[in-house]
Amino acid sequence: MNQALNVEVNFPPATDGHIAVVNLKSARAQFWSRFWQAPERSGIAECLVEQEHLAAQFLGDLDAFNRLETLVCEFARVDAEPIRTALIHAQVASMSHRFAEARSYLAQAEDQGAPPAAVKRLALGIDQACGTGIEAVLEARYGMAAESGRLEDLVPLGALLADLREFDQANAIYSQALRAYQDVSPFALAWVCFQLGALWGELVPDTQPIRAAQWYRRAIDYLPCYVKARVHLAEIYSQDGRTDDAEVLLMPAIASGDPEVSWRLADVLNASGRSAEAEVQMQAARSGFEALLQRHWLAFADHGAEFYAGSGNDGRRALALALINLANRPTLRASERAYSAAVGVGETHVAREILAAAANRWGWTGAFRLSPLAAYRAESARSDAGSSASSATTRPNADEARGGLTFSRIDDVHAKSLGAIT
Amino acid sequence: MSDHVDGPRQIGDPAADLTDLFAFASPGNPGRTVLGLDVFPSAGTTAMFSNVVDHSIVVRPVNIEGVGDAARFKPGAKEYRFSCRFSVLEHGPDGALIQRGACTLPGGQELKFVVNDEKGAATADGVFRVFAGLRSDPFILAWLVASLKRFPNLLEHDNVLSIVIELDPRRVFDLGNGSLLGVVAETTPVPGPPTLIGKPPPRFDWVGRPEQTNMRLNNPAMEGTEDLRDLWNQQTPFAIEEELKPLFRQRLIDSLTNWDMRDGKADWTAATLGAAADVYLDDFILIDVSKPTSDTSYLEIEKSTLRGHAYQTGGGRTVNSNVVDIMLSWMVNNDREYLQGGAKSATKPGVNTFPYLASPNTELQTVLESVELSAPPDQVWALIGPFGGTWHPLIAKIRLTGQGIGQLRTIETIDGKQIIERLAAMDNSLRLYRYTNISGIPAVDYTGTLAVKPKGSGSSVEWRVQYWADGQPDIVVKTIVSTLLKTGLEALKKRFG
Repeated sequence: MNQALNVEVNFPPATDGHIAVVNLKSARAQFWSRFWQAPERSGIAECLVEQEHLAAQFLGDLDAFNRLETLVCEFARVDAEPIRTALIHAQVASMSHRFAEARSYLAQAEDQGAPPAAVKRLALGIDQACGTGIEAVLEARYGMAAESGRLEDLVPLGALLADLREFDQANAIYSQALRAYQDVSPFALAWVCFQLGALWGELVPDTQPIRAAQWYRRAIDYLPCYVKARVHLAEIYSQDGRTDDAEVLLMPAIASGDPEVSWRLADVLNASGRSAEAEVQMQAARSGFEALLQRHWLAFADHGAEFYAGSGNDGRRALALALINLANRPTLRASERAYSAAVGVGETHVAREILAAAANRWGWTGAFRLSPLAAYRAESARSDAGSSASSATTRPNADEARGGLTFSRIDDVHAKSLGAIT
Repeated sequence: MSDHVDGPRQIGDPAADLTDLFAFASPGNPGRTVLGLDVFPSAGTTAMFSNVVDHSIVVRPVNIEGVGDAARFKPGAKEYRFSCRFSVLEHGPDGALIQRGACTLPGGQELKFVVNDEKGAATADGVFRVFAGLRSDPFILAWLVASLKRFPNLLEHDNVLSIVIELDPRRVFDLGNGSLLGVVAETTPVPGPPTLIGKPPPRFDWVGRPEQTNMRLNNPAMEGTEDLRDLWNQQTPFAIEEELKPLFRQRLIDSLTNWDMRDGKADWTAATLGAAADVYLDDFILIDVSKPTSDTSYLEIEKSTLRGHAYQTGGGRTVNSNVVDIMLSWMVNNDREYLQGGAKSATKPGVNTFPYLASPNTELQTVLESVELSAPPDQVWALIGPFGGTWHPLIAKIRLTGQGIGQLRTIETIDGKQIIERLAAMDNSLRLYRYTNISGIPAVDYTGTLAVKPKGSGSSVEWRVQYWADGQPDIVVKTIVSTLLKTGLEALKKRFG
């Protein structure tokens, strides 16, 4: 694989991460003040959504989701312009992974005459998150990136290419995003570095932890408070036996309240033989995830599944959450996680249905052929004499492509999961 | 706001986004000149300068090379640059965050200072004095620009990061060939070692006259026109690319024509519009440091020259100059009638002493209290819904004046204080009313909302108050308001369970 960028070269300068965070909080507080003074005033709610998004994405400030719910309630209460209300609802719902709701608001906005570009941009994000109409999304992403050449259009394209297992292209696009950036916000640059870390550390078939760690470190250099980058780098350190370094990385991030920090810290402490301290962190992680799931269950179903499949040590809950996530956004990666969760608890029939659905939906893609599910599918086909594996390699029909999972056992498990969570 | 968030490049880091530029004679000592710039639109109560941005005010001598429709202001080649650079944050002895800065003056002398130190720093000879820090945004934008409707100041309670440089012009500038100067501000990358990834832009933002980008080049009433702001921001101040000048000039003419017709009357001829476009194309604030400036002298040099006579004032732009109203009056009706927007002054007008911009605004405070009650909502609303109801244990007596929305209640508290509040909204179907405080609480823009909602078989009462502390520390006002709310809701809990 080509290495487009050397991590050790001089990087574009950015405002010091501590200053940027002070300023983000400053601007956010001011916009909230303005919002409470006149919620309907043009641009204020829109800016707040962006700022809260930054707070959640980079600072691990997951209360941002609650604040955004407050914002949409207040916005609806003051009866602001219908188009703005619908667009903001759609954006907030999409952030919380309530994609069906987001689509519904987006349709309302469109009906009321919302600017097509705003609708298209949001719809693309939803389609990408759900793995819907992925060829059209890819074409549109390429078009937008080519037209603007800006980082904020290049990074989503890189992420999509990574999802499609086009890793070299994703790497090239991320590198282009770094080159294209013409401002000094560390948020933007840290975001690209994080994406490159995830690409090399988690997404490529043969992960390159040293290379990934360099990118995560670069992201943290830009933005010391970048909680996700700290968590991911700590995982690499832990796997490398560097538990002290991992602990040093995670400790400052505890204050963010993100339960993933407590979870990873518990793992580190356990690996260091400090089981009592680990248990405290694990309790914090468990209660943190449950609190998040209670309020924003679609947004955190994926993370919750990962937690319970790991140190959270509740395979059934992991499967339930993975299936909720899969039903909500039937991407190839969601299928892989759900399949793994089903196998983990011995639900072989559920696993087979997930596999069949994934093959039906994604089997024709190159991404599927690089997925572990392809191997499982081939194995399954061999053992199922007379089964028609070839049918999985044809394109799905339009309804299937929209993501409907119609399998009875999945529905059963899904329904139980819904009951357990809501 | 004259240049706030004016293009895609500025959306990255607000601390690189220039909002305003000032140039005026010191009100306390007219022999001294004050130059100032603001960055970071809508800053809150804490904000810091970017450590990778150079913040510069650049001054050049200017010659008048034509009058009337041939009016031209030609900048000279000599440049005086005042450039401020800032450090990363440090922790002070008390744990508070500190940022330091240094201003490189024309000639290379460096003047160091601490951000937010109101006294600033001065050179030993007293020629220069510099301040940098958070201040109340002095800009007044009291119009909905696209529709030209009056509106309260859109920047009320906002803060900005300001840099103020006071100097003795006779000892800094070569005034032998004249005392007319052109001033711009720009934010540029701090020079560093070359990066192998990407190339920094020559500058992030620059500003000359207020609203060149947001109101003239990108006239909000001219829908469907291409946004030229980003292209303009990429230009080098004092040196707009020759090949792009026709594009910008035509846009300025189109925009000025649109502005002229906003009141349905043509007050400008084609020739004078073209001449004005040429003047605007040379985008810098003009100040004659040998003449007095005032809050109304902004654009006087340009106007007089275009009208074919000698200017009388120092022009410039003071902190309290209502530049939007001045500019609109000129563009819309050629000064036939002064267009007064919906506000006459900023949140905190500038002051006559260094650093001239007022202290920063405090944060909007919100106090929210709620209680769950066993009684149904209607029963609770029957008690607390009437605006003149005396259910609160800290209230001795209420007197109502007037009726319906707008009526006043004069509250006498049990310790003898008087509070006056005005009913702003009443919705019995939602069981909600909103009121504002007129007096009796040390706060401004004080709004309270009392609402009863169903909750299970009972109800919940939510009482939200928002205000800006005024004359008392936030904590003191917050204690007063919290006590008022909590005591009231506790009384309801006792009463309804």
